[in-house]
Amino acid sequence: MKMRDVLLDPLLNKNPITFQVLGICSALAITNSLLSALVMGLSVTAVLAFSNMSISLIRHHLPTSVRIIVQITIIASAVIVVDELLKAFLPETARILSVYVGLIVTNCIVLGRAETFAMQNPVGISVLDGIGNGLGFGLILMIVATIRELLGSGSLMGVSILPLVADNGWYVPNEMLLLPPSAFFIIGFLIWIIRSWKTEQVEQRDDSPIPNRTTEAG
Amino acid sequence: MSNDSPQKAILVVFAVALVCSVVVSVAAISLRPYQLAHQIFNRAQHIVKLADLMPTNAEALSKKDLMDIFLQLDARVIDIDAGKFAKNLNPVTFDQRKAAADPGRSVTIPAEHDVARLGRRSRFANVYLVWDGGQLKRIILPIHGQGMWSTIYGYIALQADLNTIAGVTFYEQGETPGLGTQIQLPDWQAKWQGRQLWDENGELRFRIATGRVAAESAAARYEVDALSGATVTASGITSLVHYWFGEYGFQPFLTYLREMPPSRADN
Repeated sequence: MKMRDVLLDPLLNKNPITFQVLGICSALAITNSLLSALVMGLSVTAVLAFSNMSISLIRHHLPTSVRIIVQITIIASAVIVVDELLKAFLPETARILSVYVGLIVTNCIVLGRAETFAMQNPVGISVLDGIGNGLGFGLILMIVATIRELLGSGSLMGVSILPLVADNGWYVPNEMLLLPPSAFFIIGFLIWIIRSWKTEQVEQRDDSPIPNRTTEAG
Repeated sequence: MSNDSPQKAILVVFAVALVCSVVVSVAAISLRPYQLAHQIFNRAQHIVKLADLMPTNAEALSKKDLMDIFLQLDARVIDIDAGKFAKNLNPVTFDQRKAAADPGRSVTIPAEHDVARLGRRSRFANVYLVWDGGQLKRIILPIHGQGMWSTIYGYIALQADLNTIAGVTFYEQGETPGLGTQIQLPDWQAKWQGRQLWDENGELRFRIATGRVAAESAAARYEVDALSGATVTASGITSLVHYWFGEYGFQPFLTYLREMPPSRADN
């Protein structure tokens, strides 16, 4: 396994959202503004890197019976620290993200990477895997958020791009894009586009043996 | 010790919990001052704006300059139920949010009067008087209540007639982004200015309308345009205004102010 692959594969080839189909909930919730998506992507990356590192460090001493509890404790601690940091230094964004920072704990990507990668691999490469998956998650969030903020609010990063009718411009914003279900459609289209292009990502049909990977969304 | 023995499990869980709790506590305690400073600054910013004391070059204003303006306001604590100034409480240190969680300084709101769905509220409130020479120009009152997902916190400024709204602001809310959060838009908040709370018969008529308010309609004096896609948030705001300006909110205090106009010195 090459370092480069571990870091870059999750960006497109094994993207946590479009390939592993993990972490959908928060991708729906916070992608109506590009700034929130950026901060969320970076927060998840930090949490993933830290949790993968800690779990990989103690992986030889983790009793199977309590491993999930221990993983969640570590992840939750990392999330609280990130939440406190945001509240202290990026209070405006923290206010917009509100509960969703706390909900990183329940983001399946974090526990998924801990279970499938950090438990079996040494520290260095586990950190890289965490960073790669965090960035892959963030990348999709940014794409979805760009579409949603531009068409839903006529702006990007809060800067007006399409002047709204309400401000005497010409653009009538599509309010559907401000609501979470729109992200569901956008992610659906992204998965469709990526899998039409990279056909090896297409899942096998149900009548064939189940491929060895996690496919729950969370 | 084998990895799967119960002793090892307890040991590992205990050690991880210990390390994690230390990390979390250190982060929480060391970052607390930054968070508090920001909260205080954020609130001060909203109040200075409502007091109409924000200088025109607001962007260039340093944090310290803004706090200086804020600290020069005539801040007071009132006893909500008695409808009087609570002169024994220090307005600088009194924290209404903290008091609301303290059984000794808060009251349970009976369900039938609890239109803003607060459950409990502080017995005291931080209010701010704005003077123009010796004349009362505005009074700024804190309001809060349930929106769709969150408790919305804000301030409302009344003109000296204690009926006409001079301005409103919401400094904390967790409503649906892009929909309920429109309550923070300056354009919408500006529509509150000049609206009145009570009609001539003393009936509390103010509300957020269910559509656009026709300028010539009889209700136009009391109603603010609806926000599209934010029906529940808007009705929450109507309810919280009705609670806070009802007889279990600021009405006793406003009655007292009408009878005994405050002076700048009696503070």
